[in-house]
Amino acid sequence: MREAGFTTFLVDDDPAVLKAITRLLNAAGYRTRSFSSPQEFLSAHDPSIPGCAIIDLVMSELDGLHLQQALLETGSERPIIFLSGKGDVSTSVRAMKAGAVDFLTKPVKREALFSAVVRAAKVDALSRQKRDESKSIGDRLATLTHREREVLEYVIAGRLNKQIAASLGTVEKTVKVHRGRMMAKLAVKSVADLVRLADKAGIVPAQGPANGERV
Amino acid sequence: MRDGKSGELPGIDPARTVRSFFIVAIAYYLGAEIAFLVGTLSDKIFAPFWPPNVVLFCALVLSPPRQWWIYILAVLPAHIAAELRVGMPATQLLVAFVTNCLVAAINAYALQWLKVGPPWFGNIRNATAYVFVTAFVGPGLCAFGGAFVQILGGGFIDDYGLYWARWYASNALGSLTLGPLALICLEKIPFSIVSPVRRRLEALLIAVVLALTCIVAFEQVPTIATGYVPALLYLPLPIIVWAAVRFGSKGASGAIMVVSLVLIWRTLNGPSPFVVGSAEANVFAMQLFLIGLSTPILLLGSAIEETRHAETVTRDREARISVAAASSSVGLWQYEIATGAFWATDYCRKLFDLPADAPLSLDRLLSRIHPNDFKAASAAFRSAIMRAAPLEIEFRVQGTDDGVHWISARAQPIFGESGEPTAMTGAFGDTTSRKMAEADADMQRQEIAHLMRVSMLGELSGGLAHELTQPLTAILSNAQAGKILLAGGKKNLEEIGNIFDDIITEDGRAGEVIHRLRGLLKKGEIKYEAIDMNELIGSTLRLLHSELIDRRISVSDDKAVDLPLTKGDPIQLQQILLNLFMNAMDAMDGVVPTRRAISVSTATTQEGGVEVRISDCGTGLPPSQEQHVFQPFFTTKKRGLGLGLPICASIMKLHGGSLSLQNNVRDGATAIFRLPPVGA
Repeated sequence: MREAGFTTFLVDDDPAVLKAITRLLNAAGYRTRSFSSPQEFLSAHDPSIPGCAIIDLVMSELDGLHLQQALLETGSERPIIFLSGKGDVSTSVRAMKAGAVDFLTKPVKREALFSAVVRAAKVDALSRQKRDESKSIGDRLATLTHREREVLEYVIAGRLNKQIAASLGTVEKTVKVHRGRMMAKLAVKSVADLVRLADKAGIVPAQGPANGERV
Repeated sequence: MRDGKSGELPGIDPARTVRSFFIVAIAYYLGAEIAFLVGTLSDKIFAPFWPPNVVLFCALVLSPPRQWWIYILAVLPAHIAAELRVGMPATQLLVAFVTNCLVAAINAYALQWLKVGPPWFGNIRNATAYVFVTAFVGPGLCAFGGAFVQILGGGFIDDYGLYWARWYASNALGSLTLGPLALICLEKIPFSIVSPVRRRLEALLIAVVLALTCIVAFEQVPTIATGYVPALLYLPLPIIVWAAVRFGSKGASGAIMVVSLVLIWRTLNGPSPFVVGSAEANVFAMQLFLIGLSTPILLLGSAIEETRHAETVTRDREARISVAAASSSVGLWQYEIATGAFWATDYCRKLFDLPADAPLSLDRLLSRIHPNDFKAASAAFRSAIMRAAPLEIEFRVQGTDDGVHWISARAQPIFGESGEPTAMTGAFGDTTSRKMAEADADMQRQEIAHLMRVSMLGELSGGLAHELTQPLTAILSNAQAGKILLAGGKKNLEEIGNIFDDIITEDGRAGEVIHRLRGLLKKGEIKYEAIDMNELIGSTLRLLHSELIDRRISVSDDKAVDLPLTKGDPIQLQQILLNLFMNAMDAMDGVVPTRRAISVSTATTQEGGVEVRISDCGTGLPPSQEQHVFQPFFTTKKRGLGLGLPICASIMKLHGGSLSLQNNVRDGATAIFRLPPVGA
């Protein structure tokens, strides 16, 4: 949670509220950066910094929901906690549907705030982890040759080497070699791991009949 | 009157006509007998005084001409009977009859033609006409024929002039002595019922004194120097005048009757004050004397009657006006500038709560004025009187039991012939009910204004709650941060001090909102103080801050620097601002959010006051109904009451300012209100 680099980004156009909540988060040990307008926040936003955004829903220039939209458009998955002086149901439902971590009403008690931040941190960590992982997978996939790639698709379709060889028009031995190299490049030890990895990467298994007959 | 309007003897009723027929006939006969009794003169059968003609004349003048034949027919037998009794020959009798009828008819016809009627001697015109016709023209003309009666009775044709004069005189005298009394008695004025006993006694007294005086006056005492005789003749005059003054024409004619009777009796039956020569000449002299005496007396009597009548009419009219005024709760008054004399109707006593017998004087009335208003009211009265200027003032009068009445006093100066002001004439009216109604209306207006404020704040409640939420959030988070710091033990006292400072500031912010709200929600009395409109607009916008954000409305303000202070009730003025802003916000509901904008500006007016403009870009005022927006219950909102703008307008009026709404050239409308400078 209070790992190095985790920052809470605070956006509220009421200076007194901004200052007070900043103080509170600081006192709790969180690194905080405050912005009094959404524009300020967007222009200074760095998606690589781990952290969550705490945004006031009712602001004069750009309201919270639009800010959330704008963030998504920049491709950021930063978790958002909404604060609002109005507790109406429809707004809160909209906010949650749009993927907010939580929706808190002002005046906000520290317990509620902190537990929301903790949850947001978990979400953020998880999403970062996922992203890192998929980045690494992508990198690894990129190192495969064309043939290796083809073999990959047949392997995750559950074909035997013999069948693969028949489908590709080559011999089993060659297939075995490709397979071995592919698995090494991808750093997986078992077919099950390979399937999971391919799934994560979104690779579609090869289609077509299994008996290896050429069509 | 020719159309039969003069009629206490209408012709339509045959029973009455028959009755009148006989009455006239009998009266004629009796009249003749009385004349003979009073004294015929020698054997010439000539009476100085001929009642029958008067009887016939009265009958004729009181009935329409078409009925005259009835009465002439009635008196014929009576005439014959009477004259035969004294042995008058037939031709003489006939001529006498003809001339008698003629004189009566001419007199009656002339008077009817001149439209002389009741009151016969009530005014100078009628009296003059009567005298002129019946004592001069009528007998004068007919005497030309009447002289022949004497000639036929054995007179000489050379004495024609003399006979003319005698005939004339006896008819004229009858008209002047008997006629008036007869006509007055026949008028339907039951004077005997009207006058109280005292007056009747007085009348009797006058008659008796007059008679005695006449007897004394006309007693001829040859031993006393006859030079006194003419003077003595005037002895009855004061009493006659007294009778005329006290009893009008009735008194005059009655007095003349008494004098005539005494004089005639004296002249014919004893030594006469008129010693001219022959007995006939004496009688003639007496007749002339009486004619000369009675004419002015009759006229005097009618003049007095006319004046009395006019006075009564005026008094009645005044009484009627008083009553009319009193019934509409108005008391009339008049103040004579020169003398200070004061007249007021009785109703003024009621208005000023004075006892029924209290004298009405201006000072007495003014003393009833409530002490708080006395100074101003009496100053106003004095000033109006001194400057002879119109007066218009209202004041309170302390009622003894009821409490307070409100009286309004108005007066106008009256100017005399020379253009100098002579009097102030005016009215007092009771305006208590109006004042109560005004006070009630005021209270209701305040109630409604309060209710409008409450309702407005109700609509703003979401936004207002938000205005409170922000400082509360800041306070809570600050406090909780402080607790964490303290628990951490790092002793960062400076930071904790800052925290407390911020808490206090934020509490102040919340406090301001609550303070404003409380002011708007309470139903307090109006308090006028110096106001900076810029500041008031600012605090209003702060109240509306959340609402404006919620509705995505941007506000631009252009406040004048050095805006002068204005005087007013801050709560009511804020109510106006809130109302105008809310109208502007509501007008823009249909506008695309990014274009919603309100602009506020303040400026100094030419008179040194303040002008505020609030402009929106919404739907604007409905085109044909720009004037209707200030009418109560006019609204274009779905759930509006339509009272906001009328109340704002009345608040502005109370402040001496103005409020107007107009459509902008492009979109939306602008509200402009102006307030006078502090000194005004």
